[in-house]
Amino acid sequence: MRIIIAFGAMALALSCSKDAETVDTEYPVIDGNFAGAFPQQCGTVRRGETFVFRAKFSDNVALGSFSLDVHDNFDHHSHSTEVEACDMGPVKEAEAPFKYIKSFDIPGAPKTYEAEVAIAVPADVDPGDYHFLMRVTDREGWQTLRGLSIKIE
Amino acid sequence: MKFIIITLIGLFAFAFAHGQDSRLAGRVTDTIGNRVVGARVTLEGVGMQAGPPIKVVLTDTTGAFSFVGLPRGNYQLVVHKRGYADWQTTVSLTGDTDGFTVVLEGKVHLLDEVLVVDNHVERRKQEESLNLEVVGKDFVYRNLGGSLMKSLERLPGVQTIGIGSGQSKPLIRGLGFNRVVVVDRGIKHEGQQWGSDHGLELDQFAVGEVEIIKGAASFVYGSDAIGGAIDVKPEALPAPHTRAVSVDLVGRSNNHSYGTSVRIGGRSDKWFVDSRLTYLRYGDYRVPADTVYVYDYAVPLQGQRLRNTAGRETDVHFTAGYLAERFNSILYVNNIDNKAGFFANAHGLEPRRVDVELHDKSVRDILLPSQQVNHFKAISKNALHLGAHHIEAELGFQRNFRQEHSPYVNHGYMPSSLPDTLGVPTTLEREFDKQVYALNVKDYVELGKHQLTFGLNGERQHNRIGGWTFLVPSFAQSTVGVFAYDRYRLTDRLLLHGAVRFDHGSLRMHEYRDWFPSDVPEGGQAYLVRAADLHRRFNSLVWSIGMNYEPFENLSLKANIGKSFRMPIAKELSANGVNYHYFSYERGNPSLAAEQSYQADLAVEWNTDGWQIQVSPFYNYFPNYIYLNPTAAFDHFYGAGNQVFEYAESRVMRYGGEVQVSRRLGRSLKAEVLGEYLFSQQLSGTKKGFSLPFAPPPSLLMGLSWSPERPGSPFIELDYRLVAAQDRIVPPEKKTAGCGVMALRAGGTARVAGMPVHLNVQVQNLLDTKYMDHTSFYRLIELPEMGRNIVLSLRIPVISKQNE
Repeated sequence: MRIIIAFGAMALALSCSKDAETVDTEYPVIDGNFAGAFPQQCGTVRRGETFVFRAKFSDNVALGSFSLDVHDNFDHHSHSTEVEACDMGPVKEAEAPFKYIKSFDIPGAPKTYEAEVAIAVPADVDPGDYHFLMRVTDREGWQTLRGLSIKIE
Repeated sequence: MKFIIITLIGLFAFAFAHGQDSRLAGRVTDTIGNRVVGARVTLEGVGMQAGPPIKVVLTDTTGAFSFVGLPRGNYQLVVHKRGYADWQTTVSLTGDTDGFTVVLEGKVHLLDEVLVVDNHVERRKQEESLNLEVVGKDFVYRNLGGSLMKSLERLPGVQTIGIGSGQSKPLIRGLGFNRVVVVDRGIKHEGQQWGSDHGLELDQFAVGEVEIIKGAASFVYGSDAIGGAIDVKPEALPAPHTRAVSVDLVGRSNNHSYGTSVRIGGRSDKWFVDSRLTYLRYGDYRVPADTVYVYDYAVPLQGQRLRNTAGRETDVHFTAGYLAERFNSILYVNNIDNKAGFFANAHGLEPRRVDVELHDKSVRDILLPSQQVNHFKAISKNALHLGAHHIEAELGFQRNFRQEHSPYVNHGYMPSSLPDTLGVPTTLEREFDKQVYALNVKDYVELGKHQLTFGLNGERQHNRIGGWTFLVPSFAQSTVGVFAYDRYRLTDRLLLHGAVRFDHGSLRMHEYRDWFPSDVPEGGQAYLVRAADLHRRFNSLVWSIGMNYEPFENLSLKANIGKSFRMPIAKELSANGVNYHYFSYERGNPSLAAEQSYQADLAVEWNTDGWQIQVSPFYNYFPNYIYLNPTAAFDHFYGAGNQVFEYAESRVMRYGGEVQVSRRLGRSLKAEVLGEYLFSQQLSGTKKGFSLPFAPPPSLLMGLSWSPERPGSPFIELDYRLVAAQDRIVPPEKKTAGCGVMALRAGGTARVAGMPVHLNVQVQNLLDTKYMDHTSFYRLIELPEMGRNIVLSLRIPVISKQNE
């Protein structure tokens, strides 16, 4: 019986000492209401033009990096992560879909960061429904993602 | 019966009226009037004419017997037939007596109920220094969940990862996947244990007894038994000279599930055959919510049903064997076939757009995405007694064939539509084909106070992959292990254990190259090599020492300390692919060493008038826990812009335990409290200070049961499980709030047409509580657990009788 008590006391002591050490369990945040945010859910970008992606990321401790992915949704395979649903064009086969995949470091591990990336959309890509997926991590590896439905005209 | 007695009394009254040479003739039947052929009828003189049996006859094909030329007087009539209770009476013969009726009562031998009335479970527990729980068929039936592991979840220290309503995989004290070994009929069950959405392919109706070993069990089970082992024993064999048919019926309200399992078998003295067919269907399951949220996107549910979570299961078992005193050999052949849908509005973490009208047309259809698994097994289990040796050998073959279906979606650099030239069906996302040959040999030897076990295990695996996505490469794996285990009874109260085991393993990975080109850092595009040819070898030496000690009556103590190991799996060594459903790019580490674990276990059990208290703490340390670590980086070449998850090693400490307290209140009432607690922490690496994934939160189960000693053993049980919040999480998990869930169970046995019919009723989630389970597969997309579910099951022995 004494062994149990001793073990229990040890377990209790260990668990208390561990609670003092706090680890970061918070996800980074993508600010959807940021004034200059672009593109917006159900927004439009034009072929043959360059648009500038703008977003504001924040974290309670330190941000890590972010990644952007633009791909076609001509087959309506998935929906965005947003509340608002958009009008979609008809389902169609892709011929020359626009594809953009790139990742970026956030230098200096700041708590907030305003991202700005110029993205050129070639003139000869298929117009239609696209997904704009942005992902951000913090230093601990928590990832937040946000998927927007956009149109390329 | 009464009639016979009255007749006999009547006969008695005329005892001395007549002279010599009478006839006694009659018939032997069973309780439902069937003739009993070949019964031995013995007539013995009593009283004045006492002496040796004077006549013995066997009943003929009509069940009739007759004795002639009997002197008048008193006789003792005995009727004997194997499988029936002996029948005897005194006959006073006063003249020719015809139409004498003997009704034999069968010894009830239900095939699935050959209850060996001994205390083998208690003895097994007392002689095992590791923490052990043993449950039988009755426990499984009382707690019947959608799958075997769900049915065992009530046990403290056992949790599950549920995948929808029909599949689950085990966690023992928070360790699962390849850290728990599941043994089925003596052979290690090999499926795709590493996948969080892959359930365990076992038929819970075909289960006899389940042993759950918590702790360092590698010395018996080899690689992977770090968290423990679940040893699933087959059903009890038919009793000699019986044949039987039994039918199980089950229905569940929540997912409109229905199913049956039919057993047909029989045995002569030494030979037997047995078979079972199980068929189950279930519809989309209901959660107590009208809308669920995949990220912020609202998904309205029709009738609170999770779209496309329906499934079906068809299992076929065939067993045949020869059982003699010194040698027995049993062949088990079975096939488990499962098909189940995944929640349609998300695939992994990816929100999916669905044709709501198509999906909501029926709650039973299984549309895309879905998984289909076929698991075939052939196991030959043999045992031989030779003097002081008892040798057991198992030879097994199994094939796990798994397909995951989803509409083709072009992720990353994949082309917009799947090219025909690839030769892969457009809906075949992944395919795993695993073939495993295994051999186990064990020799048990009694040498004075030593009980020695020597063992050898060998296994050869071939794994092939298919489909248009890549997670793990094809690989071949061979392992061989030898062990020696000594159980030494020092005194009546002290049993000591010592074991040592050596293993050698070899893993050979085959190269996999993408079927589509991706952008590469050097510029331009190339077909990326996702896994390179790789050959690794591992050697491992593990040990275990333990004791069982009974310092006083009613108090028993167990202690064990041991080392366990696990060979890294193909995915940990060679993964270099994108898991699009989790937005993760998983990168293996070809230089990983075999994982090692040291665990100390203690168990104290105290039994005294009405009280039963068991406390079982443990401490576990890993010098190199292999962990899929989510990093802060993204990779836009190999990882197609996804977050990099890297297999890494870290030092890990875990401790916790279970407490079980039960108290008898009067003759029929019992109250019990079962608690479990687990703490885990990474002590090094980039996630230092963090917990481990799938850490079950502390929980407390309070149960009250009423089981009066009445015929039919009726019972009512009420459980309330309180689960604490889980705030200790690692990426990509989410904190889970605490909850309280109630369950009600009742049942008993009723005699219908002379046959004992077992009825069990269960109400799971009695109050229709909306809660989330931290270890559920659907936790990450925040789907609540199943709502109220009424489970009704019946076990009916249709025929149960002696062979003629």
